Amino acid sequence: MSMPKPDPLADLPWPKPEAPGEAVSAKICGACTKNLCAKRGLSALSRFTLCIAASSLVASVGYWFGVRHGRSELGVRTGVYSAVGWALLQAAVLFIGFAPRRGPLGSRGVRLALAVLVPVLFIGYLTYAAWSYVPFEEFRQGPRAWHAIGCGLVALGFGAIVGGSVLLAWRGTNPVTPRLSGTLAGFVGGIGGALAVGIGCPSHEAWHLWTAHGLIVLALGLMGFVAGRRLLSP
Amino acid sequence: MERYVDGEAEAFEFLYRRVSPNLMGYLLRLTRNRERAEDLLQITFSKVHRARGSFLRGAPVLPWILAIARRSFLDERRSAHVRTEDLSPDGSLPEQQNEERPLPTEISDALEVALDRLPENYREAIVLTKITGLSVAEAASVLGATETAVKLRVHRGYTQLRKELEQYSRTP
Repeated sequence: MSMPKPDPLADLPWPKPEAPGEAVSAKICGACTKNLCAKRGLSALSRFTLCIAASSLVASVGYWFGVRHGRSELGVRTGVYSAVGWALLQAAVLFIGFAPRRGPLGSRGVRLALAVLVPVLFIGYLTYAAWSYVPFEEFRQGPRAWHAIGCGLVALGFGAIVGGSVLLAWRGTNPVTPRLSGTLAGFVGGIGGALAVGIGCPSHEAWHLWTAHGLIVLALGLMGFVAGRRLLSP
Repeated sequence: MERYVDGEAEAFEFLYRRVSPNLMGYLLRLTRNRERAEDLLQITFSKVHRARGSFLRGAPVLPWILAIARRSFLDERRSAHVRTEDLSPDGSLPEQQNEERPLPTEISDALEVALDRLPENYREAIVLTKITGLSVAEAASVLGATETAVKLRVHRGYTQLRKELEQYSRTP
């Protein structure tokens, strides 16, 4: 049986906690108790559920769009399966990036690693999912470019809905890593938007997927980084 | 905290009495200035008051408030791009003080001086665990670091503190 290690700092005369001045205390207590009313917030589970609901909503719109515009059944089904698969990763990102946790999973290092890994994985997935490739010169001219711009704008809108819901659902809850968690919210939104559009979008061309579906994730991650400090920090 | 969130003013006063000395001690050691520490204390509590609805029930309160205080300190320091100085009554900047701090006479003073000389990340880890009384896990959640990183910072800070205090004990 091992003995607990003695605390090597225990013998030092550590300063005692100091009370703030009376005037400051009175001012703070006065300000914080004036017209005090109940302000119940949502539980972590409810916030989490709201985010999943927003993501499911945009995926449903993507599905509706795909069915309405006569996309092949196989294409729609593949889009739905990939959206469900990525939803698991989105849930994991939300769980690690937002729920207050102790231990290694709550550390800045893990969130930073996620912020690097998630877009790399998603761009890798898009590269894997691309069935055809046209040279960039050909892609940037004509209808392909317009299709990519249209898809990109819709994905941006969908992504903003999901990312914005994540930021609003977790508003004011993260004083430790607001920017990093904001970036993760942007990535979750971006992936949600890109996949929702992917259900209805028939293109499997590499440049289309990278620009219209992939760049959106990075753009929303950047927006989340900027908005995170303002919205997630109490 | 939960009774305060439910709107009980007495609960806030109880919470304030429990938390404010630790918070003040932490802010004093971050800012090294009583006035700035008291300003930051007010800012922190006003943020706590506004964000009380977003406090996740069941989460530990002190680390949450300390994390808000730390974020407020970092934001304040970032926004003050230049070093701030109190102007003298005639509006001029004070003269640069180059004189050395007087040698401490008591071990507790020597410890304060040695703490001030520590790098900020070591000092924060030591203040949170030794003065504020947080566990390593709670300190890690305030600093956004792993427990191992906090232990390492405390250990390195301790080694440096010991060196400083040995020098003090050798001084006649």
